[in-house]
Amino acid sequence: MTEASQKIDTAEKREPRIGVFVCHCGHNIAGVVDVEEVSEKAKSLPGVVFSTHEMFMCADAGQQLIKDKIDELKLNRVVVASCSPRMHEPTFRRVCESAGLNRYLFEQVNLREHVSWCHMRQPEAATEKAWDLVRMAVARARQLDELPIKQVDVTPRTLVVGGGIAGLRAALDIADRGFEAVLVEKEPELGGHVRKWTHLFPADESGAQVISPLIRHVERHKLIDVMTNSKVAEFGGYIGNFDVKIENLKTHKTKTVQVGTVVVATGFRPFEPEGYYAYEQSENIVTLAQLQELPPRAELRRPSDGRIVKKLAFIGCVGSREPGKKGHEHCSRHCCSAVAQASADLKDRVDEVLILYQDIRTYGRGHEELHRLALSKHVIYSKFPREEKPTVHVDDDGNIKVTWTDVLTGDQLEFEPELLVLATAMIPPDDVAETANLFSLTRSGDGFFNPEHIKLAPLTTHTAGVMIAGAAQAAKNASESVIDASGAAAKAVGLMARGKVEIESTVSHVIPELCSACHTCITCCPYGAIAMDEEHDPPVAYVTEAKCHGCGTCAAACPSNAIIMYHSTDNQIMAMIEAYLCPTDMEQQGGN
Amino acid sequence: MSDKKAINSAMVVGGGVAGMQAALDIANQGYKVYLVEKSPTIGGRMAQLDKTFPTLDCSACILTPRLSEVSRHPNIELLAYADLEEVTGTVGDFLVTVIKRSRYVDEEKCAACGDCTEVCPVEVPNEFDRGLGIRKAIYTPFPQATPNIYTIDMENCIRCKRCVSECQRDAIDLEMQDERLEFRVGAIVIATGYEMFDVSRYPRLGYARIPDVIDALEYERLINAAGPTQGHLIRLSDGKIPKSIGFIQCVGARDVAKGVPYCSRVCCMYGIKNAVMAKEHYPDAEVNIYYADIRAFGKGFEEFYEMARTRFGVNFFRGRVAEVTRTQEGRLAVKVEDTLSAKPMEIEHDLVVLSPGIVPPQDLLRLSEKLGVSVRNDGYIDVSHHYFGPVDTRIPGVFVCGCADGPKDIPDSVTAGSAAAMKATIILSHGGQSS
Ligand SMILES: Cc1cc2nc3c(=O)[nH]c(=O)nc-3n(C[C@H](O)[C@H](O)[C@H](O)COP(=O)(O)OP(=O)(O)OC[C@H]3O[C@@H](n4cnc5c(N)ncnc54)[C@H](O)[C@@H]3O)c2cc1C
Repeated sequence: MTEASQKIDTAEKREPRIGVFVCHCGHNIAGVVDVEEVSEKAKSLPGVVFSTHEMFMCADAGQQLIKDKIDELKLNRVVVASCSPRMHEPTFRRVCESAGLNRYLFEQVNLREHVSWCHMRQPEAATEKAWDLVRMAVARARQLDELPIKQVDVTPRTLVVGGGIAGLRAALDIADRGFEAVLVEKEPELGGHVRKWTHLFPADESGAQVISPLIRHVERHKLIDVMTNSKVAEFGGYIGNFDVKIENLKTHKTKTVQVGTVVVATGFRPFEPEGYYAYEQSENIVTLAQLQELPPRAELRRPSDGRIVKKLAFIGCVGSREPGKKGHEHCSRHCCSAVAQASADLKDRVDEVLILYQDIRTYGRGHEELHRLALSKHVIYSKFPREEKPTVHVDDDGNIKVTWTDVLTGDQLEFEPELLVLATAMIPPDDVAETANLFSLTRSGDGFFNPEHIKLAPLTTHTAGVMIAGAAQAAKNASESVIDASGAAAKAVGLMARGKVEIESTVSHVIPELCSACHTCITCCPYGAIAMDEEHDPPVAYVTEAKCHGCGTCAAACPSNAIIMYHSTDNQIMAMIEAYLCPTDMEQQGGN
Repeated sequence: MSDKKAINSAMVVGGGVAGMQAALDIANQGYKVYLVEKSPTIGGRMAQLDKTFPTLDCSACILTPRLSEVSRHPNIELLAYADLEEVTGTVGDFLVTVIKRSRYVDEEKCAACGDCTEVCPVEVPNEFDRGLGIRKAIYTPFPQATPNIYTIDMENCIRCKRCVSECQRDAIDLEMQDERLEFRVGAIVIATGYEMFDVSRYPRLGYARIPDVIDALEYERLINAAGPTQGHLIRLSDGKIPKSIGFIQCVGARDVAKGVPYCSRVCCMYGIKNAVMAKEHYPDAEVNIYYADIRAFGKGFEEFYEMARTRFGVNFFRGRVAEVTRTQEGRLAVKVEDTLSAKPMEIEHDLVVLSPGIVPPQDLLRLSEKLGVSVRNDGYIDVSHHYFGPVDTRIPGVFVCGCADGPKDIPDSVTAGSAAAMKATIILSHGGQSS
């Protein structure tokens, strides 16, 4: 990849021939905005040689229309007024390219998210705003320049962060597919939470039975480099070319590796329910995770004195589903089914089992059957009101008493279990913020990492080349984490198998003649993309384009006006402002 | 490594959101993919949805880019309107016979101009709109259909040949025959999705007897801007705006007696989504949901449920509905015991929407027999192991994703699609060996 400045093709400064395409998006836009009026008025704008409106611009017919008009009318700029560019900019750019037009000569106006959806009840004002935006886009389109299309190589190696069930699976799949993986685990041993569990719920296996074969395969695989007791200390670079510094937490030795892709599988932490249900007051009040770690024995014994438990109780949603409590609003997904199976299993060893719940969410394959099995074994399920949680009291002799209102009968009830299990939330690990920072990941309300798109891109992130898998993405069970891991591996392999990836040309550039070497841009760049070029005489700032995210901060901060932000140049932005402030001038120019 | 010549292609059966994802993730690694879809277009059920939980983006808006990505991908060959006929061979080298049914329209010549539809005199209920709207005998199911080619439904065609003479490109051929095609592939992914439970099997809930009792997919079409009413939410009996709407959950789910013992996983959330959409259409309407448990377990789901309750004012009643009857005024009386207050209630609505569970497609058993994979008691494809093979069938080289192995929402279907792709490409990269 070249670090040289992008040459602006002055040939493209030919007289603009702009096509405007206004999309109905079914009723999404046309139900509010008068699309016909907008497209009609756009005909009067300078440089516009064609303007129309169409039901779905993104459908094949709409795409074909753009292509046909580019051919027929020799359009050299295309403006589509439709939805968010996050949705369809790639689609329309591709259409332009297939008709021989540089993708940066395309401009999109967001009439849906920015207009029709937010001004649903003010159609006239919405139409006016739509017209403003289209006018501005056309003004900008007149100033657009061709930019080069650039590709970078992808290093055929993946960094997998976290050696739990998801990380192990991801590394193994990548290696089985023929690519190298570097697996970094901060603990001394691989296997994460699953390794510690004597019983996996819902499943018939112990954690060890599930995790040991995986660990064995990973450790023996010649394409996997396992680094335990280690953490990623520094992470830099860009998609296909990340530089990773890995630090051994014991020896503090560091190692630097180059990878092309990353899978973050840093998992979760079981919530420690301090302040909930007298948790600190008795050793016999444990979390579900602690129950899963109890040694498998013929009988269930309570931790305080080893006495055999006859009466057992579970309370669900501990630290989950708490509206308004940050980081605890989400459902932890795995617990209802885990409790159903644990209760059904343990009912054979104890006399009475009580489950206090809000909703029974045994959604997965075979989970409903576990719930029914528990009921058939006379496990007692009792629903407590969402506004009134059960109370737990531990007396001086250590006896536990649970009091609650059963919503179905309205009765106040009591139960004195010898062991009380709290099904606590899955929450992010302590160092989640650090990990997020390292890989520039954002987090959602549940504290876990945000995927690129919650429905259609659940495994990729906004940092190109960085994938997420397993409980790092959201609360989920081990089987689901395994599926995530294979999916994330597919994303990583997809990039590596192609070997090359396109990167954006919307980056900034320092004009050496104007740079006063003041370092302002270097300090304000959030991505560390700008440095001094000491070879240059005199030394000036320069931008590593592949690291640049195109945020424009440097261009705004530069006191010498020495930085061009490609595709958001001063000219382009001033033209938009002018078009907004002086609408009639513009129309008159065009209407001649 | 085996010594047989590696076969660098895979087949995906089913072109819903899961199958499309699997196809893309295999194709993006440089392998060839044959995507077999039985209906005239890819997109699956998601194409029929209006908005999608938990963030309410419009389904078509997020799906359409995927449709074009698949259709334009140089490594994907789309075989729509086709059926898998026969499979022989083993992992790494399957020989698959596919019957490409005749559309009576030449795929190469058709430009989807729509002139044929205009002149077609035959109108039949449109399956895509769940029969609420009409289409012609020559049709595409919806505007973004992919591939965008017209199809003649011969069962209803009267052979008047108006379309034949109208078509400028000579694309229509009423004598066109089915094609029999053979493909050698190294791996196969099953992504055949689901069907809706037939809610008329609960006569007491009034479906098919009372016009204003509809199912959730019909509701999705009704509120969709491109749907039969252009997005106007109305009663089918008299076209009036409903002031009060009831949503009944778990119809054909978690019911051992009806042969659907399992939870359908998506109905709670789409029920809540539909209720929120009703409130968006008519903020003053009374909107109730009758449920057994609210299962909002996915990322962002519980938060969405909370928002429906507090911000949108959707009312939730916990109780299985006993009966829906029509009152003399033409309203719908819902009889239910609110188990939280332990009171039997009768609440009147103008519109009742049943939220059906989902069931395996009828022909899944036949398909599974052709492939030699086993299905479970519930009719879905069995996977080999929860942890070691969650997207593997018991036949090496044959994988499964999306709703083909059990109900799933879109994020889970997509994730499984990527996972199945990973497994299939491991096979392809080893020339047939699993690793
Ligand atoms: C009313 C309703 C609302 C919903 N709303 C949402 C929502 O808001 N958010 C969400 O996340 N999920 C929602 N869902 C769930 C969503 O529809 C599914 O998650 C998704 O469609 C599953 O994708 P799929 O690819 O597995 O199956 P499908 O979408 O069913 O696709 C399967 C495809 O395979 C084809 N096919 C079937 N058999 C064969 C065969 N033998 N040969 C060839 N092709 C075959 C079918 O024609 C179809 O195209 C909703 C479901 C319903 C019922």
